Amino acid sequence: MLEMLNSSQFWVDVFKIIMIDLLLSGDNAVVIALACRNLPEAQRRQGIMYGVGGAIGLRIVLTFFAVSLLALPYLKLVGALLLLWIGIKLILPDEEHGEGNIKAEAHLWGAVKTIIIADFVMSLDNVIGVAAAAKGSVFLLVFGLLVSIPLIAWSSQLVLKLIDRFPYIVHAGGALLGYVAGEMLVSEVLFKPLVEANHALHWIVPVICAVLVLAIGKWLAARMAVKAEAVHLVDGQVSSNGQQSEGSKK
Amino acid sequence: MNVLIPVDGSAAANRAVEYMIASVAWLKESPQIHLLNVQWKLASGNVKLFIDQDTINDYYREQGNAALADARAKLDAAGLAYAYHISIGTPAEAIVQYAQEQAVDQIVICAHGHGTLSDLLLGSVASKVAHLARVPVLLVK
Repeated sequence: MLEMLNSSQFWVDVFKIIMIDLLLSGDNAVVIALACRNLPEAQRRQGIMYGVGGAIGLRIVLTFFAVSLLALPYLKLVGALLLLWIGIKLILPDEEHGEGNIKAEAHLWGAVKTIIIADFVMSLDNVIGVAAAAKGSVFLLVFGLLVSIPLIAWSSQLVLKLIDRFPYIVHAGGALLGYVAGEMLVSEVLFKPLVEANHALHWIVPVICAVLVLAIGKWLAARMAVKAEAVHLVDGQVSSNGQQSEGSKK
Repeated sequence: MNVLIPVDGSAAANRAVEYMIASVAWLKESPQIHLLNVQWKLASGNVKLFIDQDTINDYYREQGNAALADARAKLDAAGLAYAYHISIGTPAEAIVQYAQEQAVDQIVICAHGHGTLSDLLLGSVASKVAHLARVPVLLVK
């Protein structure tokens, strides 16, 4: 356990997991806060508590599912392809989904249900990323989960601000996910004979995957480059005698 | 004269408002003051799959109005006319965009918003605005 702390590989893995957790933390905190908004005051705290608890529980279950699935032959290949896609998606600008038919939930269990379903969808990429980066180390898995918990509960503006300040962080993250995907590919049983014959593949494949994610991501991002304009929400006027008029814009 | 004062609800940001109130007397005509609060676009495409747009907008409106409250109270007390505005986006870019749309003559902004530490780590909105804006930017200390 202790000698682990001395190896540089260990710290590299820790760094990878923190990066993946940060960038793929999803918007769980935002969904939890927003889903509980329409609840009566008394139930709001309860809803947030259940929501955070449920999200953490779900994250733990999903992580262990992902780990056991990734231990099976061929599924590493699938996992690696998924990771490549997740890495590319990270580099692409946020796309606007068409507005679905969603109604605001005004009762507690409705809100909790929304939170759990949203968590399920938004946790998947994080869980696959962390499971891949942990490479079977239980310590790293638990560490990854622990790091993600405060992000589930509180992160909101932190990640946005980081990306605003250091825009290349998403490219670094995409490349990192590509690298991890490559590491997973070379550990796939299917390719074992090949990799054992050419040891250099241990680093060549991850590097190629990282470059691939960057190249495809940047290419697609350039194609869909639309400048994100700020949206106007409220416009109001107050005259010097205190009269007020307000118009809301959509 | 059109003046834009971006505020984030912090005491520091409101110093820009106080400065404006104090310096109104220097001007020949009273300026048209625009207060602007920018809310980070927290709700990404994923969030919109699960939460309806009205709830999201209500949230932004509530946060934005809370951030504007102190600055508005100061202007109300001073008896000045002003326009207030909430947009959603990345603060510095949204401020500059609004300044262009409203043909603002000057942006008056506090050099530090929420905290010096986060300014240091995350960069200050003011310095980014000063960099991006096409009109003079007055940094209030």
